[in-house]
Amino acid sequence: MKQTNIRNFSIIAHIDHGKSTLADRILELTGAITEREKQDQLLDNMDIERERGITIKLNAVKLHYNYQNEDYILNLIDTPGHVDFSYEVSRSLAACEGAVLVVDAAQGIEAQTLANVYLALENDLTIIPVINKIDLPNADIPKVKKELIDTLGFTEDEIILTSAKTGEGVDKLLKAIIERVPAPQGSDNDKLRALVFDSYFDSYKGVIALVRIKNGSLKVKDKIKFMATGATYEVTELGVSTPKHQNKSILKCGEVGYICASIKSVSDIKVGDTITLENDPAKEKLPGYKPMRPMVFCGLYPTETNKYPDLREALEKLKLNDAALEFEPETSTALGFGFRCGFLGLLHMEIILERLEREFNINHIATSPSVIYKITKTDNEIIYIDSPAKMPDRQKIKLIEEPYIKTNIYVPSEYIGSVMELCQNKRGTYISMEYISQTRVNIHYELPLSEIVYNFFDKLKSSTKGYASFDYDLIGYKPSDLVKMDILLNGETIDALSVITHKDFAYNRGKTIVHKLKEIIPRQLFEVPIQCVIGSKVIARADIKALRKNVLAKCYGGDITRKRKLLEKQKEGKKRMKMVGKVEVPSEAFLAVLNIDEEK
Amino acid sequence: MSIYIHIPFCTQICSYCDFCKIYKNQKWIDIYLDALKKEIIKNYRGEKITTLYIGGGTPSSLSLDELKKLFSILKIFNLDKNAEITIETNTEDLTKEKIDFLKTKVNRLSIGIQTFNQETLKLLNRKLNINNLKLAFQNFDNINIDLMYGFQNQTAKDLQNDLDKILKLKPKHISTYCLILEPNTKLYIQNYKPLDGDKESDLYNLITKTLTEHNYIKYELSNFAKPNYESKHNLTYWNNQNYYGFGLGASGYIKNKRYENTRSLTNYLKGNYRLNTHKLSKTETIQNEFILGLRKIKGLNKKDFYNKYHIDIKDIKPVKKLLNQNLLLENNQNIYINPKYLYTSNEILLNFIDFSLHKH
Repeated sequence: MKQTNIRNFSIIAHIDHGKSTLADRILELTGAITEREKQDQLLDNMDIERERGITIKLNAVKLHYNYQNEDYILNLIDTPGHVDFSYEVSRSLAACEGAVLVVDAAQGIEAQTLANVYLALENDLTIIPVINKIDLPNADIPKVKKELIDTLGFTEDEIILTSAKTGEGVDKLLKAIIERVPAPQGSDNDKLRALVFDSYFDSYKGVIALVRIKNGSLKVKDKIKFMATGATYEVTELGVSTPKHQNKSILKCGEVGYICASIKSVSDIKVGDTITLENDPAKEKLPGYKPMRPMVFCGLYPTETNKYPDLREALEKLKLNDAALEFEPETSTALGFGFRCGFLGLLHMEIILERLEREFNINHIATSPSVIYKITKTDNEIIYIDSPAKMPDRQKIKLIEEPYIKTNIYVPSEYIGSVMELCQNKRGTYISMEYISQTRVNIHYELPLSEIVYNFFDKLKSSTKGYASFDYDLIGYKPSDLVKMDILLNGETIDALSVITHKDFAYNRGKTIVHKLKEIIPRQLFEVPIQCVIGSKVIARADIKALRKNVLAKCYGGDITRKRKLLEKQKEGKKRMKMVGKVEVPSEAFLAVLNIDEEK
Repeated sequence: MSIYIHIPFCTQICSYCDFCKIYKNQKWIDIYLDALKKEIIKNYRGEKITTLYIGGGTPSSLSLDELKKLFSILKIFNLDKNAEITIETNTEDLTKEKIDFLKTKVNRLSIGIQTFNQETLKLLNRKLNINNLKLAFQNFDNINIDLMYGFQNQTAKDLQNDLDKILKLKPKHISTYCLILEPNTKLYIQNYKPLDGDKESDLYNLITKTLTEHNYIKYELSNFAKPNYESKHNLTYWNNQNYYGFGLGASGYIKNKRYENTRSLTNYLKGNYRLNTHKLSKTETIQNEFILGLRKIKGLNKKDFYNKYHIDIKDIKPVKKLLNQNLLLENNQNIYINPKYLYTSNEILLNFIDFSLHKH
């Protein structure tokens, strides 16, 4: 196939705007899947992806299309649709020359629409705007067209109308991709530079890296070198996905495919890294590589202490396929042996926690998430901490800084007030607001990331009746007046319940946490005081009164079998509990600090 | 060996009752007694019987002739001469002629009073005949009174009133019951809200205090007796000993099998007695030994435990832990629940529901 007949493109969209359905239609129309193989949203492989309607792991599919008697190859590279994975999105966009921007005909532009457009523009992509779901009864095509024209600067005749559901307009889109997206640059004769835009683990072949050949070409048995990490391997298999794997002996310039090279773990290779030949290396690696750094951390402990090895094994297995997941052993006096885990964001964390339970059947306790704080000590040493437990004594701290983000909050204008109130409550600083249409605005705030990992997103949804969409960029560290707050149960500090919070919020949060814990922790055989302290100062207290009644009041001849069932049921309930000192604490208590409501 | 006989008939259905019961109907009683006889003959192996308990339902609701027929059936049993023979009664049935007859057949009466409060009686759908009650006390020495508590809005004063009236009768034995709302009872369906747990616990403490002051011994979580008047029959349950259960919905424990009879009269009359039979493992048997035995205030006898199971009781995993936590206490002979935690004893019993015998 001639390089001039190759088109590499992604589809980008806000969540639920129909990206995956549109991808399915394209696969159908190009004959990549037959009717028999059709399974909705073929590109979303994991159960969780299908359930949540988001794509987490990327896929790339090679499609054939005949246009005006010319054969073309279209490489469709899928992107994850969540801000947690924006680096991965940017790398897969870097593997393309074009992007199809999908906007819902009823919803219009949302936060992730814009975030994705910026990522596409950063990578110099040709963008094809598509208004999708035009079959919806509440579709408002003129309005969405106007938004695309006014906000993003497209012209009316660039915009393609589709319904991924009925298939309408999809052929026009394919034609536009061929006509508008440039063919790949570079030459087979260049020194090899292949961009790694994703990888996943296959239990037979080891790590499979998805690559885009930017320069040169790559053959089986070539000795390759990863330019950022320096690691070298021998290529054992090359191929393309159609979406079934199809072996090839060579990947040429401009092509998209996969590489196997007996790589053991996805953490051995880095998304965004450049592959070159060991013996004939390129001078410079491709731009844009950043090592992925987790942003959100939490402690993870097995509910039953003897499940620690199982938890480690499960995390190791997940890590095989998820380079962004980090974990290291951590010990809590309250919870015993566990792990400090790092995630790209809250969604990433939720997905991992859910998979541990669902796929590995491990009951676990997650402590409240923390960001990385930057602490300058009085001796001017700078340390970064990802857990309240690692916070130095207050006397030794000169300055605490925390990561800040800048938001894009897309919301109908009638909710401006409630969004501002929410952001203000979350220590936000107002930056600016843009009207993207007469009725919708994009609100920019600067907010501490730590406030986002609390209940920001839920609150935003509820205070805007679900209309708001939200996205953010990290903008760096800023000093904050933060304190570490400890919780004492029955006089003992429960390290797993410690949180770092802003001084002005401490009193209210302390009070709420203490009362929340009082609700969650069941009454025990003795009275349990709950105290919230900063240093040695108690700022809030509540007492769980001793349990007075839990008895089989009568038990005669026939009762024993039935009473046993009752006891068994109670025992089952206790399995969700963790003995912390002498107190039985339900696992949800450790996330209590997450669900607090300051306004109360 | 002990025997429980179930007589399911009642003239009135109590609003809290989830036992096996049927409205009284003469034709059925006759057929039922015949079927009962068949079941006994089929299963009873002639063991010496030390306690016999006729419960219900309301056994006293049977007419004099029916009672006579019942007791002629019970002649099948090889009764020990000192056997404790109890029948459950309601005051409205305790007429002079029935008392005179029962006097010749049983040596212990259990009388369901529950409360003297007229309004509560109405709520419970029960009657109380004070004259019959007095007559019973004139004719029997060994009487148990059932007392219920834990009604909506019940105060300490309400309960004290019931206790005072019972104490005046000087019964040898008092069984207390806190009201439990079981599914498929009238109160449950009416969504009746009983007293909350804390207040109920206060009432329980009041009962213990009052009865102890009047020289009753609390020998089981809910049972009080004058010295030597403990219910021998009920102790066989708490001692995890074997007993036959005959009749509709009755349950029994023979060798290492626990069984429950059908609650369907049709099935019972056809001779399909058993609803289910469950063979107990050694572990389960020992679990039951604790769940039942720790109901006794004296708890489990260490030597008896060893003789029965050939295991040192302290080698049972949870025992040591619970002793360390002071939830269980011990003296030379026994291991028992710390009286402070009797009303929260489930928290202790939970430890015995799934321990295994194998040491690791």
